[in-house]
Parts: sequence; C-alpha cells; structure tokens
Amino acid sequence: MIEDTQEALDASAQAAHERKISPRGDLIQSLVWIAVGLATLVESLQMDRLENQDINPYTVPGLLPGCLGIAIVVFGLLMVYRSISRHALAPQVEKPMTPAIRHELNRMWTILFLCIGFSCGLVGHGLPFWLAAAMFITVTIGVLQFDQLKKNNTVRRGLFMAAVIGLCAGVTIMLVFQEFFLVRLP
Amino acid sequence: MLDGLQMLGTSYLSFLNFWSLSYGLGGAFIGILVGCMPGLSATLCIALLTTLTIKMAPNDAILILICAYVGTLYGGSRSAILLNIPGTAANAASCADGYALALQGQAGRAIGIATSGAFTGTLFGVICLAMFTPSLAEIALSFGAFEFFWLALFGVAMSGSIVGEDPIKGWLMGCLGLLIAQIGQEGLYAYNRFTFGWDEMSGGISLIPALIGAFGFAEVLTTLADPIERKIIEMRDSVLPRFREVAQYWRTVFRSGVIGVVTGILPGIGEDSGAWMSYAAAKAVSPEREKFGKGSIDGLMAAETGDMSAIPGGIIPALALGIPGSAPAAVLMAAMIIHGIQPGPMLMIKTPQFVYDVVAMTTIATFSILLFGLFMVRPLLLVLRVKRTVLMPIIFVLCTVGAFAISSRLFDVYCMIIIGIGAFFLRRRGYEMAPFVLGLVLGELLDKSLRRGLVLSDGSLEPFFVRPICTALALVTLFTMLMYIPAVNERFTQGWQSFKAMFSRKSS
Repeated sequence: MIEDTQEALDASAQAAHERKISPRGDLIQSLVWIAVGLATLVESLQMDRLENQDINPYTVPGLLPGCLGIAIVVFGLLMVYRSISRHALAPQVEKPMTPAIRHELNRMWTILFLCIGFSCGLVGHGLPFWLAAAMFITVTIGVLQFDQLKKNNTVRRGLFMAAVIGLCAGVTIMLVFQEFFLVRLP
Repeated sequence: MLDGLQMLGTSYLSFLNFWSLSYGLGGAFIGILVGCMPGLSATLCIALLTTLTIKMAPNDAILILICAYVGTLYGGSRSAILLNIPGTAANAASCADGYALALQGQAGRAIGIATSGAFTGTLFGVICLAMFTPSLAEIALSFGAFEFFWLALFGVAMSGSIVGEDPIKGWLMGCLGLLIAQIGQEGLYAYNRFTFGWDEMSGGISLIPALIGAFGFAEVLTTLADPIERKIIEMRDSVLPRFREVAQYWRTVFRSGVIGVVTGILPGIGEDSGAWMSYAAAKAVSPEREKFGKGSIDGLMAAETGDMSAIPGGIIPALALGIPGSAPAAVLMAAMIIHGIQPGPMLMIKTPQFVYDVVAMTTIATFSILLFGLFMVRPLLLVLRVKRTVLMPIIFVLCTVGAFAISSRLFDVYCMIIIGIGAFFLRRRGYEMAPFVLGLVLGELLDKSLRRGLVLSDGSLEPFFVRPICTALALVTLFTMLMYIPAVNERFTQGWQSFKAMFSRKSS
C-alpha cells in the first residue's frame, strides 16, 4: 500500500488523466473502432434477408446493425482526425514507469487472474459454491495483504483471519441466497 | 384528478404495515451501506438486490429496490464528506465543500446539511413524480413508432454528449450498447443475429449480468488496482442540523429540486449531472461565490438536493415512456419487467395503481434516509473502516451470484466477466458506461421502432422528420451532437454574438 499523501494522490490523478487523453492511445483505439464498425457492417450485409418468408424488405434483420456499423466507422474516423490533429503521429517521449504504476499494474493482473480463476474455474465445476467462494475470498485477501502482513510480521495471523473471513462469507452468502431467499446458486 | 388522489391514498395506506415498512427500512439501510463504500454504485446495488428479491411479491421487491436506490445515492455523501471520494458518481459535487467542512472540524454539520438536502430534494421529486407521470403517460399514448425511434436515439445521443468529457467516446459507447442489444434472436422474425452458431447466444446478452459486469466487476478491479489507502476524517460534532440553517437556503433547495427533476427526466443524463448543474446554478447566483469549494453550505445543499431530486425525476420517464432517465432507473425498469410489470404508456391504462404505489415507495425511502441519516450516523460509518481488500472479493462473489441467479446460466457469468473486463479497460481510457447502459436498454426499442416505422411509411424517411414531436426530437438530437464539433460550435457562437450585438446596437 502507498501512503495517502497529497503527492501520491496527485500523481495517481495525473497518470489517470494522461491515460484518458493520450492522442496516440486515441489513434490506436479509433483504428480498433473502425475495424469493429467494418466487421459489423460486413456481418449485417451478409445476414439473411428472409426473402423466402416474403417479409417486407424494410424489416430485414441487418438494417439497424448495418446502420450502427456505419455510425461506429464514422465516429472512429472522427477520432482518427482528432488524434492526428493533436499530433498523435509525432515522436512520443517514453515516460519511465514509476513504482506506483508498476505496483498498480501488478495488482490489476493479479486480481484479474484470481477473479477469472474463481468464476470460470471454480464455479459450476463440481465444487459447492460456499467452498469455492471461501477459497477465493481467502486467497484474494491473503495475496493482496501479504506485503503488509510481512511488513508487520503477522503473516500467520493474517492468513488465519483471511480463512475465517472467507469461510464465514461463503457460508453466509450461501445461506442468505439459497435458504432464505430461495435463489439457486451455481 | 380525484381518482388520482384516491389511488394515491390507497397506495399510502397499503404500505402502512409492519412488513412493508421493514422492507423499506431494510432496503434503505443496505443502500446507505453500499453507497458509503466508494466504488459501489446504485446500479450495482439494485442489480444485486434484484436477484435477491426475485422470488418476492412484486410490490415488496420494488419497494426494497427503490429504497436501496435512494439509500445508495444518499449514502455516497458520507464517503464524499469523510474521505473526499464520492460513494457514487452522483456525489462527486458534494466532495469539494463537504470534505472542506470536514477538514474544518465540521464533518457532522456537513452530514446534517447533506441529509437535509437529500430529504427535501427527494420529497420535491416525489411530488413531481406524482404530478407528472400520469400526464406524460397520457401524452405518450399518442406516440407511434416514429416518435419512439427518435426518443430512443435522443436518449443515447444525449447521454453520450453530456456524460463524461469526450462526446465522441460517449457516442461510441452508446453505439456499442445498441450493438450488443442486437445480439440474439431479433423481435420480429426470431432471426439469430451475431450468434455465430452458439445456441446460448440466441437469448441475447441479459441486461442484469451486463450491468453487474460494467458497474460491479469493473469497479472491483478499479478499486483493488488502486494502491492508495485513504484515511477517514473523524467526526466529532453533531449531525442534527439547525432548522434556521436549512430554512435560509429554501431558494437553493427549490432551484436545485427543479434542476434535479428536469435532468432526471432527460434520458441517460443521470443524477450526477443533476448535482453538478444544481451546484453550478447555486454558485452563479450566490452572494458568497468565493466560498464554493472551500466549505460552502449553499454548495453542499445544492449538490445533494439536485442529486436526490433526480431520482424520482429518472423514474418518471421509466414509468411513463418505458425509457429510463439513468442507469439505476434502467435496472429498476428491468426489475419491474421481471416481476411482470410493463413500464410505458400502457401502464396508466392497465395498472394505474402501480404508479401511485411507486410514489408511496419513494416517500417511504425519503423518510427512511432521514431516520438513518440523523440517528444512525456513527454505526453506519463503521463500514468505511472495512478494508477494501476484504470487501471487494466478497463483492465479486456477490456479482457472480447476481449474474447467475436471474436465469441460472453460467453463460451469464461469463458475459459478466467479459463485459466487466472490457468496461474496466475502457473506463481507464475515458469511456463512460452510462451511454452504454442506455444503448443496451433502448436497443430493442430502437430496432423495432425503425423497422415498424419504415413498414408504415413504405420505406419513406419523411414521417421520421415531419411529424411534430419527431421534428422536435430530431432537431434537438442533431443540434446537441453538432454543437460538440468545435468548428460548428465556434461558428454558432460567433453567429449568436453577432445576433446579440445587432439588437444591442438597435436598442442604443
């Protein structure tokens, strides 16, 4: 964890702002949007026009998707024009990766891996839901708090607490949803 | 009018029983807890509670959802004041003055003012909900396919233009939402679109799992990826506001209430715009303009009143037109449909009592937040002390349950994951979710209205532009979009300045 100082908050806000308005980033995104729009348009044109059902030609299934494909291409081209006018093609100065940004990226990939592992790997593949949830919560808390626990020399206690929280949360969610509100769980 | 009053009275009486009041208080309590926690939105709260209440009676379920909706937006002011992080996007306008007051040792006073503003704003919105919903529904009965086409397009375009900092990105998200809504069997001939041979895609992408992904999973990733742990300011003073202090800002309350309801009615705009516009309007006319951003009571009152009055405002078009005013209103609408209530112009014909039931439910929600806001402040603040590394994994488990529970399909869980990952990366690049949500909700309406309209006009586009309401909507939509193009905006501004100068020369 990073200290809640004004400097850290400002750096984090600055990095977020630069990510949002980067002209080079916008240029790459606009090319992706144009590709999506063209793919949508092609798929819409290839859709069956249901002539054998003698439908009204103005109600073909591909009408609105085709229009949306065109709209996405148009907006993508507007973004290309805007990015180029903001010097997206000019040589960019590579900013060094700060420890805070590296830390943020590592956490992001770790959390993604854990969440996908739980929802696609554990859930619905034979394990009781409460057990899968308990395992996920325990491992996630343990992984995210490990550095702090190590710093405070409380690793065993912290992991034990994570296991208790995970088990309680898993069982409570199962009881509340399945037994009390009669909602089926995976 | 007398019939309306009678139905309103019947509605209020029907909810004055132990279980209804308990459900209402419970819903508001959960909403406030969720709202207090930064990163968790009203949309996510209502989506998760929809799955929890799916087996309950419709009126009980909708009561819990409405109370949770109001509670979440009110609860967000707590973290705005004590952490300088808005609990929901709608509370962002409360951060500046609320947090400044907290730093001056007046956190309790700020919470008291926020509570007063929230209570009066919601109550004002409830009155407008009761008055305008039946009238708007009556007008909407004359709408045809052409009008609904433009209403749907207007909602998505307006949302893309106003929400966020980049209108092009907003319109792209609107188009993406509309496109995803086309996946699956289309409504006229049951033809499979964009399914690529997968049977599971025939049912399309369900709204609730998609919203849980966009607002739940994406927020979990955003919150946990942020390495900075923020400190909470201690609250030492009393939260009970002085009546005189609230009464002296009656103009601000009334003005912000009107602005909030109007922004709530406009499709896709949302409560955060209601808060910011009310704040800006209060600052423009305040004799103490320099205090705004530094602990202005006027500013905090305006932000909270505008934000909360937009809630009933957003429910008005959802009930009367079947077009939600905001993302949470969209989920509320989906929940109504799940419970067999069809929002739209026919609601006042088929089940008019339900409209007044919603008025009664929103009133219960209003008094619930007043009760919790004034007398349960310190216990509710304990939730802010729970570490997000503990809370967020639990929230993700709830997101998984929520996505699965609607149709008992793992496919919905996978959709939630994919949309959540997409939403997370898109938000980091400045793309807002509100236009995407509106596109998802209005996609089917837009598709059917376009095709029906073309059948009725035999392929001619003329009725889409010459019918009076269509003309008005088309002009507003096109004008709003064109004004965001800098070259057009500049020419228009120059022309407007010349026009004004011409009249000032004539008068002199």
